[in-house]
Amino acid sequence: MTGTWVLIRLILRRDRVLLPVWIAISALMPASIASATADLYAGQAARDAFAAASVSNPAQLAMRGPIYDASVGGLTAWTLGSSLALIGGLVSILLMTRHTRVEEETGRRELLSSGVIGRHAPLAAALAVVLAANLLLGLLSVPALVAGGLPAGSSLLFGLSIAAGGWAFAAVAAVTAQLTASSGAARGIAIAIGGLLFALRSLADAGGIGRLAWLTPFGWVRLTRPYAGDQWWVLGLIAVFVAALAAAAFALSIRRDVAGGLVAVRPGPATGALRGPFGLAARLHRGPLAGFAIGFGLMGALLGVAARGLDTQLDTPQFQELAATIGGAGARVSDVFFTFVMYVLSQLVTGAALVSALRARGEEAAGRAELLLSTPVGRLRWALSHLAFAVVGPVLLLAALGAAAGLAYDGDVARVTGATLAYLPAVWIVVGIATLLFGLLPRSAAPASWTVLGLFLVVDLLAEFKLATGVVLDLSPFVHVPAMLLGGASSPVVPLLGLTVAAVILAAAGLAFLRRRDLMPSA
Amino acid sequence: MSSPAHTAGHAAVRADGLVKTFGRTRALDGLDLTVETGEVHGFLGPNGAGKTTTIRILLGQMRADGGRIALLGGDPWRDATELHRRLAYVPGDVTLWPSLTGGEVIDLLGRARGGLDPRRRAELLERFELDPRKKCRTYSKGNRQKVALVAAFASDAELLVLDEPTSGLDPLMEAVFNECVLREKRAGRTVLLSSHILSEVETLCDRVSIIRAGRTVESGSLADLRHLTRTSVTAELIGPAPGLATLPGVHDLTVDGARLRCQVDGDALTAVLAELAGAGVRTLTTQPPTLEELFLRHYEGAAR
Repeated sequence: MTGTWVLIRLILRRDRVLLPVWIAISALMPASIASATADLYAGQAARDAFAAASVSNPAQLAMRGPIYDASVGGLTAWTLGSSLALIGGLVSILLMTRHTRVEEETGRRELLSSGVIGRHAPLAAALAVVLAANLLLGLLSVPALVAGGLPAGSSLLFGLSIAAGGWAFAAVAAVTAQLTASSGAARGIAIAIGGLLFALRSLADAGGIGRLAWLTPFGWVRLTRPYAGDQWWVLGLIAVFVAALAAAAFALSIRRDVAGGLVAVRPGPATGALRGPFGLAARLHRGPLAGFAIGFGLMGALLGVAARGLDTQLDTPQFQELAATIGGAGARVSDVFFTFVMYVLSQLVTGAALVSALRARGEEAAGRAELLLSTPVGRLRWALSHLAFAVVGPVLLLAALGAAAGLAYDGDVARVTGATLAYLPAVWIVVGIATLLFGLLPRSAAPASWTVLGLFLVVDLLAEFKLATGVVLDLSPFVHVPAMLLGGASSPVVPLLGLTVAAVILAAAGLAFLRRRDLMPSA
Repeated sequence: MSSPAHTAGHAAVRADGLVKTFGRTRALDGLDLTVETGEVHGFLGPNGAGKTTTIRILLGQMRADGGRIALLGGDPWRDATELHRRLAYVPGDVTLWPSLTGGEVIDLLGRARGGLDPRRRAELLERFELDPRKKCRTYSKGNRQKVALVAAFASDAELLVLDEPTSGLDPLMEAVFNECVLREKRAGRTVLLSSHILSEVETLCDRVSIIRAGRTVESGSLADLRHLTRTSVTAELIGPAPGLATLPGVHDLTVDGARLRCQVDGDALTAVLAELAGAGVRTLTTQPPTLEELFLRHYEGAAR
C-alpha cells in the first residue's frame, strides 16, 4: 500500500475540476427537488393524487420504482433515488477506469510503479477517492434537506443511500478493470453490468415482481426506504457487496502483470487490409457500436414485453385521465408508456453517439492522429471518418431500440421505430455541439460535451417539476422532438428539419475550426 | 556558417526565423534550419529545445506564428496532403491503436502513403526482430518505435523525418537502425534526424544544426563545428614545461609530477606542441573532440 497517499493526491490534482462540480451538482439536487415538491404539491391531498397517478404509470415504475410514502421526503427520495444512483454509478465507473486501467494502458502506471509505489496502491487510491467523493456528496446533501424541514435521521439515511449507489458501481468497475488489458472494454463491461442491474430493477417494479429488486444495487438504494420506515440495515447489504467486490478486485490484481489482463491478448493477423482512414475508423467504432446496438435492442425487447399487457391491465379511470392529459383524448396507455421511456432512452443513445463523436479528439490527444496525419490523409477526411460513425451510429441504435420494442410489443415495427428515429435530429445536435467543441476548444471538448448532455438531462428533469420553463426549457433539443406515437405535432417535418439543419451547421463550424487550428496532442 | 549549398535553393527543408509561442512560452524564437536534398541532417538539442515543435510545423500539424518555411518546395501548412505523399515520419513518442496488430498498422500507414515494398517490409521485420502478429497494446516503447520505423523505411518517401527514433531501441537495434539510415542515404533520400544522442548523429550525419531554447546556435558540417572545440591532450614529459600555463588557448591544466592533462583550443595546438617538444615528450595522447564535448560546451556556456 506504500505510495497510496501520493497517488490519492495525484488523482485529486488531476480531477480538481471534475470532482467538485460533480459533488456540488449531486449534493444540490435533493434539496431543490424537495423544495419544488413542497411548492408544487402543497397539501397531503395533492401529494396523494400525484403519487397515485405516478405509481399507476408503468414507465414511472420502470424508471423510479414504487413510492413508499407520499410525504415531501418520500416523493423526493422516489424522484431522485434511481437517477442519482444512475449518475453516481456512471461517474464512479468512469473515474475508476480512468485512474486504474487507463493509467496502465497508457504506460503511465509503469512510470510510477518504478518509483516507491506498492502493488495495491493504485487500486486502493482510486477506490479511496471515488468512495470518499460519493460519501461526501451524500453527506453534503443532508443539511439543506434538514433545513428545508425534513427529519434529520431520514435525511442522513437518504444521503447515505445516494452515496451507496456510487459505491456499488465503483466496486464493480474496480473488478472489471482487472479483467482485460483494454480500458474501453473495462468501462464497457462495467456499464453493461450497470444497465442489466437497472433493467432488473425496472422489471421488478414495473412487472410486479418486487422481490427481484433485492438482487440489484438499484433496488437496494430505494429499499433503505428513507422517510418511509428507514430501513438502515439495507445499507449493510450494500457495504457487504462493496467489500466483497473490492476484495475480489485486489485478489485479481495480484494474479496478473501490470498492463496485462486476466484474459490474455491473442495474436492477430501479420498483414492488414485496412484501407485509409475510413477503414481504420470502421475498425475502431464497430466493436462499441455493436455492443451498444445489442444493449439497446435488448432494452427495447424488454420494454415491448412490458408494454404488452398495459392497455388492459391499466384500464383504470385514473390512468385513462393521465394518458389523456399527456397524449390527448383516446391515447393508448402503451403509447404514453413508450413515449415517456423513449424520451429517456434517446438520451442514453446520445451518450453512445457522444462516445463516437469524441473519438477523433481521443485519437488526437493520444498522439495517434499525429502519425496518421503525417501521411497524405487530410485533416478533414480524417475527422469525417469518425464523424460518420457518430452520425450513422445513432440511426442504428435508435432503429435497434424501436424495432425490438415494436417486434416484442405487437409486431408493428414501423410505428415504434418511426417514433424512436424521430429523436435522431436531437441526438445529432449534441454530436454537432461535440464537433464544434472539438474544433474550437479541443482540450476541453470531452468534459464540456458531457456537461452539455448532463445539463440537457437536468433541464428535462427540472421541466418535469415545472422548474424550467420557456427559454430554459427550449434549450434542450429533446424537448423539440414531437411525440410521434401520440400524434403530438401536426407536421413533424418542420421541427425535425430545423434541428437537423442546426446540427449540420454546428458540425460544419467545428470542422472549419479544426482545419485552422494546431493539432494538440495531450503530451 | 553557411555551406555553399545553402543558397542553392533546392533544399528539402528551409526554415528562416521560425517563431512559435504557446501562451507565454516562446517555444521557437527565430529558428533557422536548412536540410539539403540527399543529406542526412542531424537536428540536435536538449529536451524542450523545440525540436518536436519544429517538426510539427514541418508536417503542417502546427502553424508557425512567424518566419518562413518551405518543405520540398511547398508550404507545409497549405500543401500538407500533397507534400505528405513524399515523406515518411516517425514520431518521438509512438502511440499506436491498441486493438490493431503491428502488421496491420504497418500496412495501414504504407497504404496511406501510397503503398510499400512487400519484400523490403519482410526484410525489415526480420532485421528489427519485430513480431507483426502482436497487438499494439502489448508492444513495448521500443517495439512501437520499430513499427513506425519499418513503415517509414519500407516506403519510397524522398524525405524521412525521424524524431528521436532510437530512444527506445537497444544497442543492437540501434546498429540495425544506423544501417537502414545509411542505406536510405545511398539511395539518395534526405533524412532529418532529431536526437540528443550524439554518437548516433556523429556516425550518420553529413551536417548538423544545434538548437537551444528555440534558436539555432550552430549549423554546419561536423568538420565546420570542430574548430569550435578543444582537443584534449595528455602527456608524460621529461622536463618541466613552465610556459604552458600562460599560453593562450590552454584550459583546465593539471600537472601531476611528470604527467599533465589539458584542453587545447584548435588554433593553439601548434604553440602547445612546440612547448611540449621543448620540454621533451615521453608519451603523448591527443583526442579529437567528441560531439558530446561540443554539445556540452554550447549548453554550459548558455546556462551561465
